[in-house]
Amino acid sequence: MTLRVLTVDDSRTILAMLHHTLSNAGFEVLQAEDGKQGLDMLKAQDVDVVITDINMPVMDGIEFIKNVRATGQHNSLPILILTTETSQDKRDQGKAAGGTGWIVKPFDPEKLISVIHRVVH
Amino acid sequence: MSDLDDFKATYFDECSELLTELEEQFAVIEEGERGADRLNAVFRAIHSIKGGAGAFGFSALVGFAHAYETLLDYVRDGRVELTDDVVVLCIRANDIVADHVNAAQSGEALPVDYGAEEKARFDALARGETGGDDDADADGEMMDDFDIDFTPVMVNLGGSMAEGEAPVEDVFESAPMAAAEGQWEIRFTPHRALYARANDPLLLFRELAALGTMSVRAVLGDVPPLSDFEPFAVYCSWEITLVSPGLSEVSIREVFEFVDGDCDIIIAQAGMVPSLADIGFDISEAPAPAVADAEPDLSSLLALTEEEVANPQEPVAPLADFIPEPPAGPVGAQDSFEEAPVLSFAALAEEIMPAAPPPAPKPPVAKAAPAAGGGESEEGGGRSVGVQSIRVDLDKVDRVVNMVGELVITQSMLTQQMDETLRARYTELVRGLEVLAQTTRGLQDSVMAIRAQPVKSVFSRMPRLVRELATKTSKKIKLETIGENTEIDKTVIEQLSDPLTHMIRNSADHGIEIPEKRLASGKSETGTIRLSAEQAGGNILIIVEDDGGGINRERVLQVARDKGVVAPDVNPTDEQIDQLIFAPGFSTASEVSDISGRGVGMDVVLSNIKKIGGSVHVRSWTGKGTRMTLRLPLTLAVLDVMLVKVGDSPYVVPLSSIVETMQCSRASFERVPSGGRVLQVRGEYVQVIDLGQRFGLATQVQETDQFVVLCETEGSQKVALVVDDIIGQQQVVIKSLEENFERVEGIAGGTILGDGNVALIVDVQGLRTTHLHQNAA
Repeated sequence: MTLRVLTVDDSRTILAMLHHTLSNAGFEVLQAEDGKQGLDMLKAQDVDVVITDINMPVMDGIEFIKNVRATGQHNSLPILILTTETSQDKRDQGKAAGGTGWIVKPFDPEKLISVIHRVVH
Repeated sequence: MSDLDDFKATYFDECSELLTELEEQFAVIEEGERGADRLNAVFRAIHSIKGGAGAFGFSALVGFAHAYETLLDYVRDGRVELTDDVVVLCIRANDIVADHVNAAQSGEALPVDYGAEEKARFDALARGETGGDDDADADGEMMDDFDIDFTPVMVNLGGSMAEGEAPVEDVFESAPMAAAEGQWEIRFTPHRALYARANDPLLLFRELAALGTMSVRAVLGDVPPLSDFEPFAVYCSWEITLVSPGLSEVSIREVFEFVDGDCDIIIAQAGMVPSLADIGFDISEAPAPAVADAEPDLSSLLALTEEEVANPQEPVAPLADFIPEPPAGPVGAQDSFEEAPVLSFAALAEEIMPAAPPPAPKPPVAKAAPAAGGGESEEGGGRSVGVQSIRVDLDKVDRVVNMVGELVITQSMLTQQMDETLRARYTELVRGLEVLAQTTRGLQDSVMAIRAQPVKSVFSRMPRLVRELATKTSKKIKLETIGENTEIDKTVIEQLSDPLTHMIRNSADHGIEIPEKRLASGKSETGTIRLSAEQAGGNILIIVEDDGGGINRERVLQVARDKGVVAPDVNPTDEQIDQLIFAPGFSTASEVSDISGRGVGMDVVLSNIKKIGGSVHVRSWTGKGTRMTLRLPLTLAVLDVMLVKVGDSPYVVPLSSIVETMQCSRASFERVPSGGRVLQVRGEYVQVIDLGQRFGLATQVQETDQFVVLCETEGSQKVALVVDDIIGQQQVVIKSLEENFERVEGIAGGTILGDGNVALIVDVQGLRTTHLHQNAA
């Protein structure tokens, strides 16, 4: 079964790289440029895992995760936080909001895939 | 690798947008507006630039951007005050980031310490020092932090590990905690938060199982009597035995990385510690007795559930989902601890599954619902959300624009071929052609709108230029921009940057005075250059205005005379003198500085602008300032023209410059002493240029049968062109004469008409200027 990943990032570069890496690994990739778009897409489609940036315009990643969890529809949806912050605070904020795990940018393709498999059945 | 190149191209595109955004944000921040939104936008821009840079291994850029970002973060949360000094530093930092991006793009290396001074100041500020010039050794602490903190890893899109990656694994393997025995006991007690964040014990076990041979026992001792049972509380924990030679605690902890803080983890090496009790495990909660206690409860729970299920009014349905199988849990748990049954991973999965769900409001149901409900709307609904724009390769748009251009020509050719006889005969065809003309026009407008871009992309490069010029000239200069959302064809925009740069250099260098002089003449110390764009009919006006000293006409005239640009006996008007700065060969050499005088004068501006069908006009007020106006066509693709005949040749006059036409027989010409003619139009005297005479074409047409085309040039100056006949109006595609032949005075370019004939495009402004010189000579 093809797993569907929703990628949320305001950087086209990162979205493009995620798309490349994930589709090469056999995932179906959806893209959103901010949290608001991400939420809208989740309303319309079912996804298996979400990868989201934190710093985004309109709705940032933290708000996005909170909103996703608040819907009550996606309690078991793994949400991975994309962050360049190796410092703990962004990660903690993301986790507190309901994030499942995180991926540190710049990501290695294999690492990215393995992290996804860590949180997806 | 081509994929990587694609990503890089995307990245540099994105960088240029982000850098533009930075300029814009700081233009407003500089004005004093320092809202959180702006700071967030600035932070995001730098953050994104850094993120991409990391992916491509642009480490110098990453290093600088990281330091800058840290400062911005501090500013954002108020730890560092955003004083004017900090704003100036940030603006400088933007320039440095831009230079780093450019260097990365071109592959050139910047000096190793490029931006080091600014970086040191970021650190000083972040440490709470306001100064920062005096601590050369400030590089220390934070700098080192960055190096440790942020090590860019080159992305290898080929799929194989990046080179630096393998050793990381080694580090873990060889960690000092590694145990020779390799048998570990793990006690794992998830909290509710673990489930709330969509982490799943089963997945953790799967990962652990990959590390070695594993056995897992569910501990259900904490399950309370039914009276105290909370449906969403977490009662289950697990004991795990993991055997693998050389397995380190670090590797095990890594598995639990994401759930750190959301569970209790006790990891102990078997043999090194006698029992879990010794490492602080509360033996009073030891599983064996607890399980014994729990079992009756569970049985009663089970029994009760069956009862309740039989009686569906009671809201216990969720329990029924997981209760039927739990006996497997207690069985395992009962045997637990001393004699753990070793389960295969597959068996484990089956066993854990029913036990795991109870705590979380876990939801095969929740997941299935949207799948079923949302499935239908998926195709349509999902894609329509949030997609308001698409990115199209510029080449494709250009191709469409060119094809539409050809279509327009073909259409006008068809119209032209319809002579009166045909028109009378085929009325339907004529109507069809009219509709075609209209539709073609509409199509052309729509296509041009696709390629139109706000002038912002050019304007945004100017603040930096002005800053640098101000520094170099020791002047204080402020740049104001107006109308930056005005849209022009992309091809025009591309040609705009150089002329605009020249004009602004000229204003900063020659226009704006030094602060002392400004103060002495009662002006504010800071000079202003105003850059504005507006649409006027079929043209875009780009205006560069300064409040400097104005053009030094005496000097300009002197230089022009010395260089033979103006004959000694001619006394041009002030306005004509102002225009002289654009005259070919004119450059106030004695004033050449390293700013304006870079080997090219303002005449280059003029010729560049002419090349794209535009014109330049300058107006100056002594002591008050200078205004230079660029008039540009909205598009380069197609020009609306009036087709006229001079001698036997067709000429075209841009429609945008034509005010009116009249028959010569009705015009009132007057001779002037110099031998030329002027035309009186509603009380105004207008210079007359006979195109036949001007271009040396013999004409058989009686003067009374000729026509006058009244044109308006820059600065509302009018000029009357005398032509032999007016043929009609049409659209043409401009072809450069300079590229295909050479520059001709009075001619702006050539075009191919619908019937295949070549016609020259009259350069009205140029004619007027050269006429002045000719008369002078």
